[in-house]
Amino acid sequence: MPIDFSLTEEQRQLQALARRFAKEVILPVAQEYDEKEEVPWPVIEKLHEVGLLNAIIPEEYGGMGLKMLDEVIVGEELAYACMGIYTIPMASDLGITPVLLAGNEEQKRRFLKPLTEKPALAAFALSEPGNGSDAAALKTRAVRQGDYYILNGTKMWISNGGEAEWVVVFATLNPELRHKGVVALVVEKGTPGFRAVKIHGKMGQRASGTYELIFEDVKVPVQNRLGEEGEGFKIAMNTLNKTRIPVAAGSVGVARRALDEAKKYAKEREAFGQPIANFQAIQFKLADMMIGIETARMYTYYAAWLADQGLPHAHASAIAKAYASEIAFEAANQAIQIHGGYGYVREFPVEKLLRDVKLNQIYEGTNEIQRLIIARHLLAE
Amino acid sequence: MKFVAVIRQVPDGESRLRIQGDRVDLSGATLILDQMDEYGVEEALRLKEKHGGEAIVVGFGPERTEEAIRTALAMGMDRGIHVVYEGYADPVTVAEALAPILKEESPTLILTGGQQADWDSQALGGALAEALGVPVVAWTTALELEGETARAKHDLDEGAEWVRVRLPAVFTTQQGLNEPRYPTLPGIMKAKKKEIKKVAFQGASRVEILQESIQEKTRLQKILDGKDPVAAAEELVRLLHEEAKVI
Repeated sequence: MPIDFSLTEEQRQLQALARRFAKEVILPVAQEYDEKEEVPWPVIEKLHEVGLLNAIIPEEYGGMGLKMLDEVIVGEELAYACMGIYTIPMASDLGITPVLLAGNEEQKRRFLKPLTEKPALAAFALSEPGNGSDAAALKTRAVRQGDYYILNGTKMWISNGGEAEWVVVFATLNPELRHKGVVALVVEKGTPGFRAVKIHGKMGQRASGTYELIFEDVKVPVQNRLGEEGEGFKIAMNTLNKTRIPVAAGSVGVARRALDEAKKYAKEREAFGQPIANFQAIQFKLADMMIGIETARMYTYYAAWLADQGLPHAHASAIAKAYASEIAFEAANQAIQIHGGYGYVREFPVEKLLRDVKLNQIYEGTNEIQRLIIARHLLAE
Repeated sequence: MKFVAVIRQVPDGESRLRIQGDRVDLSGATLILDQMDEYGVEEALRLKEKHGGEAIVVGFGPERTEEAIRTALAMGMDRGIHVVYEGYADPVTVAEALAPILKEESPTLILTGGQQADWDSQALGGALAEALGVPVVAWTTALELEGETARAKHDLDEGAEWVRVRLPAVFTTQQGLNEPRYPTLPGIMKAKKKEIKKVAFQGASRVEILQESIQEKTRLQKILDGKDPVAAAEELVRLLHEEAKVI
């Protein structure tokens, strides 16, 4: 039996736990934190209590060793309740992944174990004020001085950047070398010269903290370097090839929510003497949402399965992320359309879905970059 | 000490049920550990945490009931016993099926939900007590062990009373007794290594279901036009007080 679409007993239990958590803990506070533009620490604490925070950390370092497929099952459920809140644990996994991929034994023990012992987060810092998609053009400088690197520069749009216990920072030893000159350094919270400034006024995902990180003569011990000098870029790309899959899962969650809200409203709202769900114009929108959700979920599972099998997954994660975030944006858009004027105000949850899921088309590589990855893959064959 | 929670697997309250050929069709429903039984599982765990000993979950039902037993194990129960029976069995039959197993385990006390979300009978607790020849305290909202006996608070229609009862005894549980914990992720991982003993039930239900249907709830369709706001408000209060009896 080479193809099996069934979930294991534990995966079903995990899904039930995440679904219940989303409904009872996240859903009631999602709107409040969106309005306040504040990180919901009580939710993060509870995520830690039930074991869903930083759960990809392997068991030998105190974590649960969740596989990618487990992670996407959880991701869809949490994002159903609030994509912004789901970004917090998701971005922590993004910070953890380079340590898993390139860290040595001592580093894994030193950095990962503390994240399993209390509600704590990690972060990943690649983008800068002057470059995002062109990641190899980064300007943050690392200069070796004895047992330290001296770090100078600014990172931009860093999720969890101000809350994280440590941040994986990608810096260049020599800008002329472009991607071959990049080094990955773990910078711990409170290191002198390292500051995080919260970015305010975000359109959506306002419960997740997004930061500008400033490094002024920050001394980073050589023991905090992941891999070798010059391997940083490869570490960053291999990380994103994995962590785009949970972005796809979150998008599926948002799309499912959009469909549920639209379906509920369409059955209640009447026009021309009958529920609007009776009209084909509405039915087609709902059916299109369903088509998007089912296909995006299946493909996200496939990308996760490839990652878990240790098979090449860069193009699959790019397809999953671009496709799922686009069907989710469209689902949120159509959910607003079905709600009419009510969809345009905050009393109903659908306008938030659109604001939140817009970011899924931008972060962890814009969908344009995803298409480049896909095109390179298909032209290389 | 040994604390037993007897549980069932039932459709989620939000599931949409359908009737197919005079029978409830559960194929599209999400099935969960009965929420009333969850209070029993939580109480067994708390008693174990306070007094030591073992917490055992006992489930009666078809193969799929194992999922609900695993949920209880993921919450922290030590081991499970599953009495396997496909199809419907009435509470008295269920109690008789469980009695020999419970006698063999000889627990300090037994907890089970005050009512069942599927075939709502409110009878299992009482039937279990009868089959075991022990006392029962129904609708418990507080429970304290005091050696050979237990003190328990239980709800009455319009009040509550504290009672003392000799152990072993059966306590039926409900909202207010405790706040059930989540089956955590570490709990889910540990649960897969915990033992579930399977026992086949050879008997048969004493009550046979002939036909099932879903209650149609019709609205009264009373609309107050509100042309005279004062009269409308008075009429609304009267209806809420005298007909709906909610104020």
